[in-house]
Amino acid sequence: MIEINGITKKFKNETAIDYRDMVFETGKSYMLLGASGCGKSTLLNMIAGILSPESGSILIDGEDMTQKSQKEKDRFRIERIGYIFQDFKLIEEMTVLDNLHILRLEGVDTSDAGDILTSLGIAEKKNAKIKHLSGGQKQRVAIARALVKKPDIILADEPTGNLNFAIGEQVMRELCEVSQGKTLIAVTHDDRLAKYFDEIIDMNEVTGGKRDLFSEQEGK
Amino acid sequence: MLRFALKNMAIKRVQTILIVLSIVISAGIGVLSFNIASQVDDGITDNAGYYSLIVGPAGSETQLAMNTMYFAEEPLGTIPYEVVTLLQQDQRVSSLIPFAMADSYNGYDVVGTQAAFLQSKTLARGDMMEDDASMQAVVGANVAKYCGLTIGDVIYTSHSVGSTQTHEKGITVVGILQQSHSAYDNVVFTQIRTLWELHDHGEEAHEEDEGHEHHGTVCAVLVNTKNPGYAMQLTNEYDGKILTDEEGDSHTLQAIEPMAVVRDVLNDADNTKYIVFVLCAVILVMNIIIISIITLLNMYHSAKEISLMRLIGISMKKINLLYILQNGMIGLLSTLLAFGVSRLCLLLMNDYVSSMGVVLNIGKLYPAEILILLGVFFISVLPTMIWTYFMSRKDSIHE
Repeated sequence: MIEINGITKKFKNETAIDYRDMVFETGKSYMLLGASGCGKSTLLNMIAGILSPESGSILIDGEDMTQKSQKEKDRFRIERIGYIFQDFKLIEEMTVLDNLHILRLEGVDTSDAGDILTSLGIAEKKNAKIKHLSGGQKQRVAIARALVKKPDIILADEPTGNLNFAIGEQVMRELCEVSQGKTLIAVTHDDRLAKYFDEIIDMNEVTGGKRDLFSEQEGK
Repeated sequence: MLRFALKNMAIKRVQTILIVLSIVISAGIGVLSFNIASQVDDGITDNAGYYSLIVGPAGSETQLAMNTMYFAEEPLGTIPYEVVTLLQQDQRVSSLIPFAMADSYNGYDVVGTQAAFLQSKTLARGDMMEDDASMQAVVGANVAKYCGLTIGDVIYTSHSVGSTQTHEKGITVVGILQQSHSAYDNVVFTQIRTLWELHDHGEEAHEEDEGHEHHGTVCAVLVNTKNPGYAMQLTNEYDGKILTDEEGDSHTLQAIEPMAVVRDVLNDADNTKYIVFVLCAVILVMNIIIISIITLLNMYHSAKEISLMRLIGISMKKINLLYILQNGMIGLLSTLLAFGVSRLCLLLMNDYVSSMGVVLNIGKLYPAEILILLGVFFISVLPTMIWTYFMSRKDSIHE
C-alpha cells in the first residue's frame, strides 16, 4: 500500500504544488488524470525516490520513502519499482536485450527477459538496436524493462504519450494485462483509456494547485 | 559488468580506436626511443669494456677506437710489430691481440688478427682459424650469405673496395660465424700473417733468421691488463711514445682507454639524445592532452546515458565502476599494444643498429620503460576517474 500524506514540492521556477492525502492499495490499478503541470509526473518521481518532497511523507508498505538516503531509494527502486518513462529512457545504441540486461549491473535476475518480450509481442526484435524500432516497439521495450525485475509497483508516466490512439490503447491494454496483481499507477491525459483501470484519480482535485512563491514572498 | 563495458566500447568504437591509436603512438615512441638509446649506450660501452687499452698510431682517439672495435672508419695507419713484442714482455699485460685492417673482399673489410679476437662469437659452420697457420679465413654471416661462401671456398681479396685487381694468393674459408646482428657479420677475419704475406711480407714471415721470426706491421694492439691501474700506467707510457723500427723509421704511438673514449663520444651524443627525449616528452604530453579531451568528451556525451541508468535505479558506484573498467581496458590494451609495437620496431631496427656493433635485445626492459607505460596507463584512466568523481558528487539523477 502506498500512502501519500500532505506532501509539497517546490520547483526552481518559484512554484510549488501541495498534494492532498492519497492511498494506493496493493494489487489495484490507478489512472492519474489531470491538466499539464498539476504534478502527476512529479508525484510518480517522488514515489520512485527520484525526487524528494519538501514536506509530508510517502509510505510504501509502512516504509517512509522521504526518510531514506539516496542510496536506499536507488536500492528500493531497483528492487520494487518498475518505472515506465514517457520518453522511454532506453539506450538507443544498444539492443533490446541489452537494455533489459543492463539491470544485471545491480544484480537483477533478467532471465525472464525473453518470455516478457514474447508476451509483449516483440521477441523477434530482441537483437535489434533501439534506434531501429518504432515508437510502439520502444514503449513495449520500456514496459518489458520495468517488468523484467518483477516489481510489485509499476509506475507509468504517459506510457501512450508518444503513440497514436490505436497503438496507445493496445499498449495500455497489454500493460494492464501484464501488471495483474501488482500496484499500477499510470499518468495519462487521455481519459479514453480509463476503462483499463480500477480507479481514476483526478489530480486537479487532489492537489491544491500551483502557488506562485514569488508573489507570496512579495506579499510578506 | 565486463560484458557491458565491452559493448559500450564496441558502440563507441571510433572514439575507442582513436584513443588506442593515440596512446599506442605516444607511448610506443616514448618507450622505443628510450630503449634504443639505452641499449645503444649500454652496447657500445659493453663493447668498449672488452679491452683495457688500445695502442695504435697517433691520431684521432675516436677513429682508433671505432676502427678496432666496430671496424668503422679507416685505420689511422700502422705501427711496428715491436710494439706487440714489447707489450707481450710486459708483466702488467695479461693478454693482447694484434689487429690490422687491410684489403677488401667484394666490399667487405678484411681484418687480420688472432682467433682470440673472435672468442665471444659462435661459429655457425667450420672451424676457427689457426693462429700458427696463414691464408685461412673465418667470414661473417652476411659475407657468407651474400657472397655465397661455404667452407673450403677460396677467396681473393683486393687492395681497396673499388679495386678490381686481386691478390694472386687466395684465402681458404675455414669457418663461418653465426649471425650476431653486429659489425662482425660484415667482415672477413684472417690471421694477421695472411695480410703480411699478401703484402709482400710473406717471405719474411716464413724466413727464420737466427731464430727470429720477421713480422710486418699492425694497425693496433688490443691489450688487457692484470688490473685497471696497470691500464692507466700503460696508457700513460705508450701515449705519445716514439718508437724507431728496424729500418730506422720513427713511429709516434697513441694509447687509449676505449671505455673513456667511448664515454666521451657518448657524452657528445647525449645532447642529441636529450633532444630526442624532449621531443618524445612533447609528443607524450600532447597525446595526454588529446587523450584527456577525447575521454572527457566521451564522458560528456555519456552524461545522458548515465542519467538514464540512474533513473532506472543503477547506482552511481556501479556506473563509475563501469566507466573506469571500460577506460581501464582501453588503457591496458593500448599500453600493451604500445609495448608490442615498440618491440616490433626494435626487431626491425636491429639490423640498422648492428652496424654500430650493438645487438638490440628485444626482451630488454628498463625500469624507466615500465614507469612510462604505467604512467600512460594511469593517465588514460585519470580523466575518467576525475569525471566520475565529479559525477558522484553531483548526482545526475535529477535531469
